[in-house]
Amino acid sequence: MTDAPLLELEKLTIALKGVDQPIVDDVGFTLSRGETLCIVGESGCGKSLTSLALMGLLQTPPLRVTGGTAHFAGEDLLSMGTARLRQIRGGKMAMIFQEPMTSLNPGLRIGEQIAESVRRHKGLSHQDARARALEMLRRVRIPAPEKRLDEYPHQLSGGMRQRAMIAMALANDPELLIADEPTTALDVTIQAQILRLMRSLQQETGAAMVLITHDLGVVAEMADKVAVMYGGRIVEAGSAEQVFTDPQHPYTIGLMSSMPSLGARAGRLVTVPGTVPQPAQMPPGCRFATRCPFATSACTLVPSLTDLGGGHRVACAHAPLTALETPALRSTGT
Amino acid sequence: MTAILSTRDLRKDFVTAKPLFGEATVVRAVAGVSLDIAEGETFAIVGESGCGKSTLARLLLRLIDPTAGEVWYKGEDLASLPPARLRALRRELQFIFQDPFSSLNPQMTVGALIEEPLRTHGIGTPPERRAKVADLLTRVGLRPEHADRYPHEFSGGQRQRIGIARALASGPSVLIGDEPVSALDVSIQAQVVNLLEDLKQDFGLTLIVIAHDLAVIRHMADRVAVMYLGEVVECGPAADLYANPKHPYTEALLAAIPVASYGARAARTMVEGDPPNPISPPPGCRFHPRCPYATDLCRSERPALTDLGAGRSVACHRAADLSLDGLDDVAQSRTPAARDRFALYARAMADKPHQKSPE
Repeated sequence: MTDAPLLELEKLTIALKGVDQPIVDDVGFTLSRGETLCIVGESGCGKSLTSLALMGLLQTPPLRVTGGTAHFAGEDLLSMGTARLRQIRGGKMAMIFQEPMTSLNPGLRIGEQIAESVRRHKGLSHQDARARALEMLRRVRIPAPEKRLDEYPHQLSGGMRQRAMIAMALANDPELLIADEPTTALDVTIQAQILRLMRSLQQETGAAMVLITHDLGVVAEMADKVAVMYGGRIVEAGSAEQVFTDPQHPYTIGLMSSMPSLGARAGRLVTVPGTVPQPAQMPPGCRFATRCPFATSACTLVPSLTDLGGGHRVACAHAPLTALETPALRSTGT
Repeated sequence: MTAILSTRDLRKDFVTAKPLFGEATVVRAVAGVSLDIAEGETFAIVGESGCGKSTLARLLLRLIDPTAGEVWYKGEDLASLPPARLRALRRELQFIFQDPFSSLNPQMTVGALIEEPLRTHGIGTPPERRAKVADLLTRVGLRPEHADRYPHEFSGGQRQRIGIARALASGPSVLIGDEPVSALDVSIQAQVVNLLEDLKQDFGLTLIVIAHDLAVIRHMADRVAVMYLGEVVECGPAADLYANPKHPYTEALLAAIPVASYGARAARTMVEGDPPNPISPPPGCRFHPRCPYATDLCRSERPALTDLGAGRSVACHRAADLSLDGLDDVAQSRTPAARDRFALYARAMADKPHQKSPE
């Protein structure tokens, strides 16, 4: 990928009213056409806030972008006016959310919702827009699309609704797709169908995708690049191969260890101790230090995201972690 | 095998309100389930939304009344027991709910919540009960002083620990968890899974886990029952069932799991479409419209759950002639340095004395 990246996010910082420390801090990544970046992390890590900021959908107040730029095809999403943002959102940049029932208008027929969006962004006539809606339902493989066109969201199953959401998101040929936990609410067999559909549509259209998920299985299935977030910061980033085969940050290792294996049973799960601190109680240095078995006094400083080679970046004072360098184990908890 | 809890042809129909015109519809949520759960084992019931697994869990404790069938616990049929005797038996059969946010009364202190089952069953004097509450809080990895706080002061994982302490209070022998860890983040989920396994050992419990997460089931369960549209379609020891499924639906479930390992096999879609509406299940085998192996027989005749020996049973006409794919041992592809790092992390965690504590 030698051409300029499609999306270049730099130093994104988001503040929450009443909390001194930023709740998303210095987050950045680049994404090229056709690439999928997975942002993975647990509740409260800032992965959804990052995607909402890109789409200009942060709830302000209490949230506010206090720094950073997000260049998308040459324009800065974070500083552009609302009128321009509205043109881009739903057009060149589209979104898929976790719960289709809350993002589809329950009082509007499926076909009308898709048609409305293409009329607005592509300036199609009513008739052409309806034809486009039908074509999109067919492309996401909804059975009997002619019939579904005139149904309301509540008449569709969860999987079908998510397909309808994807149809709507792709109707304007977006260059960038932001999907926030698109399959989390679905059963495993339906999830497999939707992930396959998203992959094949992405190959057809060449769109880039930011996929937000908590599920490392979904990451392994979908990602070209991975960013692991904890406490509002990226703690590890790299290609999917780098992050999965050579994880460096203790949080990434703890997260992967916490996942039960599908193979033979191997005794107790190795966990990450404790819970994520409240935003106002984040430690001043490395935010994972309160839960990290390797934390030392060096961790009271904010670790920078450092390239260990080949674009594999890690924010840990002890990276690369080896047995010889292992600091003395922390003796007490918080 | 000594069965501690058994069901025979257990059924639960839900009837919708009669519309102005036409007939009321009947949903057969549990359509004839016969199971034997052995004392001391972890038994898992797995299936997708609407398969009837949560209804079955509630029937097992008679939190809801069955339409027909029997539930045997230590020689007594819970399904036909008078209310007073049933209340007494509830001491021994306890439930853990999925959502730690809605299953704890927000106006009660944690201590009062855990003490409530003791009071209900008239166990101990007030000082003894307070001591028991303090002990239970410690056992689930919380601290005795947490008794004076309210549920909203705790995180999701801690609330689930409170729910578990409450379930343990009356000294049960069977604990049923309906998706006990699925609302939790991965790292917290692992803590609670470990806690349940420790408590099972410490208290000699029989654990019944309802879940949709096949990796959690693989880790926790000795035996697994797979449900589809109100019926058990396959049952057997977890390791066998995962390695060598006998029902096409089990094969499809296993194939659909996204594996968290680089370069692992991609999840496959063996079945298309959604499960049919349980109001009008298809004739014959209920899975046949989505089954890639269905024949004419499957379309007309319903297969019975048949014993295959070695603790396995399956409800499939083609069980004998199909060779289905299981889940091979999923090895993590990791560099040698990464493997060392994981070992180092595991060692560091094992050395932490307060590992069980969430704070």
